[in-house]
Amino acid sequence: MSEPEPFFQGFLDDYFAECDEHLAGATRALLALEASLGTTGTDRVLIDELFRDFHSLKGISAMVELRPAEQLAHHLEDYLGAIRDRKVTLTAAGIDVLIDGTQRLEQVVNAYRSHQPPPSIDDVAARIEAIAPRPVKPDAGPDRVAERRAPEPSLPRWRCTFVPTRELLARGVGVDNIRKRLTEIGTIIDAVPHVRPDGTIAFQFTLETAAADAIDALLSDGVVVEPIDSTAVVGDAPGAVRPPGAGSTAAPTHIVRVDLMRLDQLMQNVGDLVISRSRLTEALTRLERHVPSSEWRSVQENIVAIDRQLRTLREGIMRIRLVPIGEIFRRMPFVVRDLARESGKKITLDLQGQGTEIDKYLIERMLDPVLHLVRNAVSHGIETPDVRIANGKRPEGTITLSAFTSGETVTIEVADDGRGVDAAAVAARARAAGLPVPADTLDGSALLALLCSSGFSTNDEADRASGRGVGMSVVKSTVEQLSGTVTMTTEPGGGTRFTVELPLTLAITDALIGRVGAEVFALPQGAVQEVIEVTSSDVRLVERNEIIPYRRGALPIVRLARLFGIDSAVGERFHVFVVGRGAAAVGLAVDRIIGQREIVVRAINDPLARVDGISGATDLGDGRVVLILDPGALATFVRTREARAVGAVGDWGRLQA
Amino acid sequence: MHRILIVDDSPTIRKMVRASLQALQPVEFLDAATGLEAIEHLALARVHLVVLDLNMPDMHGIDVLKFVRRQPRYKDVPILILTTRGDDASRQTAQQAGATHYMTKPFAPDALAATVQALLADFAFAESDGV
Repeated sequence: MSEPEPFFQGFLDDYFAECDEHLAGATRALLALEASLGTTGTDRVLIDELFRDFHSLKGISAMVELRPAEQLAHHLEDYLGAIRDRKVTLTAAGIDVLIDGTQRLEQVVNAYRSHQPPPSIDDVAARIEAIAPRPVKPDAGPDRVAERRAPEPSLPRWRCTFVPTRELLARGVGVDNIRKRLTEIGTIIDAVPHVRPDGTIAFQFTLETAAADAIDALLSDGVVVEPIDSTAVVGDAPGAVRPPGAGSTAAPTHIVRVDLMRLDQLMQNVGDLVISRSRLTEALTRLERHVPSSEWRSVQENIVAIDRQLRTLREGIMRIRLVPIGEIFRRMPFVVRDLARESGKKITLDLQGQGTEIDKYLIERMLDPVLHLVRNAVSHGIETPDVRIANGKRPEGTITLSAFTSGETVTIEVADDGRGVDAAAVAARARAAGLPVPADTLDGSALLALLCSSGFSTNDEADRASGRGVGMSVVKSTVEQLSGTVTMTTEPGGGTRFTVELPLTLAITDALIGRVGAEVFALPQGAVQEVIEVTSSDVRLVERNEIIPYRRGALPIVRLARLFGIDSAVGERFHVFVVGRGAAAVGLAVDRIIGQREIVVRAINDPLARVDGISGATDLGDGRVVLILDPGALATFVRTREARAVGAVGDWGRLQA
Repeated sequence: MHRILIVDDSPTIRKMVRASLQALQPVEFLDAATGLEAIEHLALARVHLVVLDLNMPDMHGIDVLKFVRRQPRYKDVPILILTTRGDDASRQTAQQAGATHYMTKPFAPDALAATVQALLADFAFAESDGV
């Protein structure tokens, strides 16, 4: 086994996916162990799980010849083996080493994934060796008894016997399926195979549950259930091992891995269907007057049904692409823990809505921005304990990371109860950097605009600590590329909250369609706060910028006709899309609004054809290409007072070609 | 046609084993991620060879091995233990429990295929001999 094995290089995607699963499992188990340290004794189930995670990581890393990962996993496995076999006791220092080792292992795997040289593992390996005992002859003494067996209030126990058959297996009812369903009902105490007198095999599960009724559902699948006399069982078999998956932290996943490309292709196909549907509707509308209305009604009903089914179909595919945001969140406890320790701060990280599901693509893109916001909260938000006490706060700061969805939008928030953003300091630093600073009081959105401007130095502590150099400007631009928005609210002494709103999916969306001259534009509905009708006489000119009265304030507007150099005879009345909130709100003026449609977003990938303010193109069904407006970029145009008719005419012509 | 049961809790390893043995046509593969699943497959289908991992969650490979060897139908079927380096003491235990052959991961695909082929040939010979 010395020759390199290019044969197994074809399995790298599987390898990385499985590494992710084991590393996530190890992270969960380690944090649970750390939390329980010194209270309940070492949890054998968690130790066993960790051991197996590292054992598997060692095995698969060896197969793809990633030696540093194999060696590091081997060290970690050895140490856990020693803990499991009670040769050493797990201490807080031990958990630190295990956590550092896990993080390093993740770095090694990620470096391999991105074709970077892997970080050295020597220091971590040395630390593990320093606390792990020299391998000695294993003494498999009789003391391998589950340690945490506090006398629990005894629930009724049941013996569930399952005899597998080919017929059952053919409809997906196998021993694994039965075990999984039993796990949902109660706790599996043990699971053993038996040979019956007739030579067939049966599996016997001992199940502990209060919800006996729920077992009935299994009867139809050939499971025989009998009560077990509890007095005869409770307290016996101290060595009985609880199988994993039975209420432990890392339940086995029953997940099919699908190449994202295939889902993209499928979504593409649905997109084509949506366009064909629009064309059909268009064609039918032309036929309407030639068809008797009684006939027309049934056509209409069918079209409505197809609409509904298409929507269900696309939502179904979208759901396949959704993964829990916990994939991002679970990395944060380590980050916060390490940064807090380095800076001598005390911080509780509160994670909420980890089950919130977002598009896989968004998960990948949002990891760094969320990481940056969390690091910022630790480095700049939360104060040191003595400062907090001096200000009458609890010494321990709290960072809340939460996610939730509403409609077609997902919201991610990073909030801290720290010192808040110092407006004066930000203004001073911005002026020093030569950035224009508004004279009036800086509110959240104005502060955020300064923090996010590319001239604002990102070379601060948080970035140095991470060595990443992802500044706020990158957070903002990433979110905007994903057609989302970032907002910030801050209160001196009270804390800061960053709110990121993103569309749940990028491929198909509801849009409002507006007309400007002879051109038609689409605007994603999620970005539109309100549509208002404006009379020309309402428009005021302030410093060459048009504004209209809006909600007891003023709303700057940009006329798309002027921006893109389109001939348009603006009537007395026109429509304005309000995008952005509060002080960041701007109005996009079109001649009139045509309606609302479901559109298929096609990205414009050719850099020569890319224009600021346009995020993509779509086809409304009549064969004409309609451009999709990028509300974020257009709002920035207005706010930075650059909404001049910049050479957009030329760009426009190119796009139309 | 040979039916081979691959038992390993790692989907990546199962896939790699499958790919390594693909050349031994005609062949059909069964996969099991746990010991219980392996026993279920063995109970429901005639299997000609088992590739068995040792360190698995619910039932250790050695327990699977012992259970299988107690079945008259499977007392002689070739069982190849394929386990990750580090279980050195387990080699002897596995052989005592009835393992036909013992290999460690990482494995070379050719070596695995050659071993499996030899085991299948021996088994066919033993079977036709009426042993």
